[in-house]
Amino acid sequence: MNVDLTIAIIITMVGASTPLLFAALGELVVEKSGVLNLGVEGMMLTGAVVGFAVTYTSGNPWLGIGAAAIAGASVSMIFAFLTLSLSANQVATGLALTIFGAGFSALFGKPFTGKPIDIFGSVFPPALSEHPYLRVFFDYSPLVYFSLFMVFAIWWFLQKTRAGLILRAVGENDHSAHSIGYSVLGVRYGAIAFGGAMAGIGGSCFPLILTPQWVEGLTGGRGWIALALVVFAAWRPGRLLAGAYLFGLIATMELYAKAAGGAFRIIPSELWASLPYLATIIVLVLISLRHKISSSAPACLGKPFIPN
Amino acid sequence: MTNFNRRNVLKIGGAAAMLPLIGTKAFAKKDKVKAAFVLIGTPDDNGWNYGHDLGRQEMIAALGADRVETTVVTNVAEGPDSERVFRELAQQGHDIIFGTSFGYGDSMLKVAGQFPDVKFEWATGYKTAPNLSIYNARFHEGRSVLGTISGMMSETGIGAYIGSFPIPEVVMGINAFHLAARKANPDFITKVVYVDSWFDPAKEADAARALIDQGVDIITQHTDGPAALQVAEERGIIGGFGQGADMSAFAPKAHLTSIIDIWSPYYIKAVKSLLDGNWKEGSSWEGIAGGEVVIGPYNEKVPADVVAAAEAVRLGIIDGSYHPFAGPITDNKGELRVEAGDIIDDGEFWAVDWYAEGVEA
Amino acid sequence: MQFRLEKKLQPSKKMLFATPVLAVFLTMILGAMVFTTLGFDGLSAVREIFLTPIINSLKWQDLAVKAAPLIIIGVGLSIGYRANVWNIGAEGQYIVGGLAATGVALLTHDLSGWWLLPLMGIAGALGGMAWVFVPAFLRTKLKVNEILTTLMLTYVAVQLLNFLIFGPWKSPTSYGQPQTVLFNSDQILPYIIPGTIVQAGAPIAVLIAILAWIIMSRSVFGFQVKTVGSAPNAARYGGFSENKTIWLTLLIGGALAGFAGMLEVAGPFNRMVPQFPSGYGFTAIIVAFLGRLHPIGVLFAGIVLAITFVGGEVAQTTIGLPNAAVGLFQAMMLFLLLAGDVLVRYNIKIVRAKR
Repeated sequence: MNVDLTIAIIITMVGASTPLLFAALGELVVEKSGVLNLGVEGMMLTGAVVGFAVTYTSGNPWLGIGAAAIAGASVSMIFAFLTLSLSANQVATGLALTIFGAGFSALFGKPFTGKPIDIFGSVFPPALSEHPYLRVFFDYSPLVYFSLFMVFAIWWFLQKTRAGLILRAVGENDHSAHSIGYSVLGVRYGAIAFGGAMAGIGGSCFPLILTPQWVEGLTGGRGWIALALVVFAAWRPGRLLAGAYLFGLIATMELYAKAAGGAFRIIPSELWASLPYLATIIVLVLISLRHKISSSAPACLGKPFIPN
Repeated sequence: MTNFNRRNVLKIGGAAAMLPLIGTKAFAKKDKVKAAFVLIGTPDDNGWNYGHDLGRQEMIAALGADRVETTVVTNVAEGPDSERVFRELAQQGHDIIFGTSFGYGDSMLKVAGQFPDVKFEWATGYKTAPNLSIYNARFHEGRSVLGTISGMMSETGIGAYIGSFPIPEVVMGINAFHLAARKANPDFITKVVYVDSWFDPAKEADAARALIDQGVDIITQHTDGPAALQVAEERGIIGGFGQGADMSAFAPKAHLTSIIDIWSPYYIKAVKSLLDGNWKEGSSWEGIAGGEVVIGPYNEKVPADVVAAAEAVRLGIIDGSYHPFAGPITDNKGELRVEAGDIIDDGEFWAVDWYAEGVEA
Repeated sequence: MQFRLEKKLQPSKKMLFATPVLAVFLTMILGAMVFTTLGFDGLSAVREIFLTPIINSLKWQDLAVKAAPLIIIGVGLSIGYRANVWNIGAEGQYIVGGLAATGVALLTHDLSGWWLLPLMGIAGALGGMAWVFVPAFLRTKLKVNEILTTLMLTYVAVQLLNFLIFGPWKSPTSYGQPQTVLFNSDQILPYIIPGTIVQAGAPIAVLIAILAWIIMSRSVFGFQVKTVGSAPNAARYGGFSENKTIWLTLLIGGALAGFAGMLEVAGPFNRMVPQFPSGYGFTAIIVAFLGRLHPIGVLFAGIVLAITFVGGEVAQTTIGLPNAAVGLFQAMMLFLLLAGDVLVRYNIKIVRAKR
């Protein structure tokens, strides 16, 4: 494989991974606070349609991204209110949120189908973004760099800040955190809103950097892969980055291998498509073989908290 | 509005002479027909469903809103869900129901059996019943035109074909495209990528990227929507084609031309025959000659000689001098599949599961 | 103003029955308002979605067909959920159950006899159990979270289906289209009510719900499941093995989902097609919760969900309500039903914010 093709694969892989990375980073924070929100796909669709609509109307992708974040956070508040304030079951509410997001985005997006926008590509001068080698660093949308920044920011927040410590404490032992005087529900509201905003931005990656259009069901089930990714990464931002790029690489390599023809095609494409999920299960097993599960999965994941 | 003039009476007489065995109901003239369209997606997909909905609108315009009333049901899943929708539409008194996806067939055949007075029309189907007709279009004829353009315009000599799943229609589209391209460029290679999903625009776009990165400079796709075409525009390759509808709005530079599905001739014919009382079980498979497959406007960057060659193929298909699958055809494993002077006829069409020499699939 | 939740000692019986009814009514009122605001005929939308399927007797058969798999899968899931075992991959178990039954049907395609359908049923149940075996094993041996493993395996099941349908199982007589041959007449479920489309699946669903109710309320097993779920410590002292409960509940859930898959493929489908995964496994999760994890509740919840599906199609065909609006409507109802849950289990105390 030559250098040009390797660079091209890396660039496509990063693009394919970025929406997953955003959504999974958000979900990671949510799960760290002890909440399992299965509505990622619904929030991504909401972000995708709002991001497209605002970019199309205003011509400014930054406004689109901001609106996608707000939209994602807004719909996540339905989930937050039901599961936190009313302590409804998180699994069922998350699924309902996905149904809601799919319906909302289809209805809201009707006037925007069949309309093109410009792709939100690299903002670097062509000397860098089109340089045969340097483009591996510069031929990306600003959203890509933003996603990398968020990996670092979330790692730093969770590991190095007091607020991050509180969030993890809430996820590990909500009743203790409550008795020390932290607002468990307040923290979780914040985490869910953040997760919604990130899923919204992840959704907006579809019309902004992958395929500049809006059409019903645009995210094609990536929200579910994002959920797998969080587990694959054992709830660690650094591993999440590696995992997102690995998932992106598997998906990308499938297409490059098919385009190349030849020996690659011996592997059935169904096996390619199953790899991320099988890999996630294997990682789950490895985690639990090496540690106790409590050291990776937040102990309170999915359980409602009722202050006494 | 009853319009009982002599000409109509004569027409009915003619129909009666032709169809002596069909029950009296078949001859009942109708003042107004209630037609229903069942779609697998939504009309704003800029592709398959859009084409059918446009056909419906043109059919209403042609026959008049006072003579035909339509219902559209969107996002109907294939399988038992569609069975329910077909029965619901029949119960509501629709006279004719168009099901526009292959996977509706089992349901339509069942419901057609329960409602013998309702006519059913199954797009891309393969089995008829006394009150169920099938209709399809020869999309592969359009592929021959696109292949001609690609063979002449491609600089790398490598074209691409993005499909959803390897079903016969797609396989034959690929072969028609490739065989035409090889007439212009005997070394032409067609790289095929199946995205293994019925609908995933982001994956189609990435497939286009993977193909362009490996030397492809002209792309055609057998999936709905402009995803691949937009990548062609973004990468500045020679181009791509609209599928199902004109997609030049999405890619003004890369959009060389398009295959446009025109269903209105068939829809007008089917509903009109019902109005006239002479609808009958049948199988329709029209192409460029029948006006169901139309080649859209050519981009101004397509050179005049290429346009001329493309038009020659198009006209050749109409007058019968060009056949998309004329022998000799060798498959990509080296086996001679069609002898010189022979063709793949309509009956053999659906059994083809091989690709012509030079197709990388 | 703030409010606080206080757990009731006993779930309120009154609220248990009142809240679903309340939620449905609230959805009707809110839905009419929202859709009128959006520019649709809100009142007609509500009438078509909620009332037509109940009033129009022609729709009853559709309700029965649509509700049956939801009920069967929902009952299985609710047993697990009672024990705090979170199988959310019923869709995968449903698919593999359907595939296993299809496998048997293809192997016995030249044979006939009454025993074919029971054999396919057993294969379906075994297929579902096989698909839940790995999550059960990992959960009990390695404490791997079953929410995640069951979900992951669902996607693998879809790929397995595609592999078989596009490969070894493709029918030679369907013009190259990805589908198996039609099952023979002994491999297709009989119609129970002449002149309708109601096949054996519907009465079986009712039977399963009643059977589950009796088992859950009368047997030691039912008591064990409930104890492990609500008071794990007490269960341990009482000598109930948590692992055994996990195994049993997951296998029951998988078996019922797989069996539902068999009923679908041998019932309305009559062959395996790529469109077989229709989301029943996911919808059944919602059904389980709407039914308050009680088998009889699940029975009714399955019917309610079926009403919104069938009614949604009616609203599309009669007043042109877009499919997306129907989805929104369903989501709204689910939100309200889930919100109503709080009244069953908690007392709401209004408290003034302390300053």
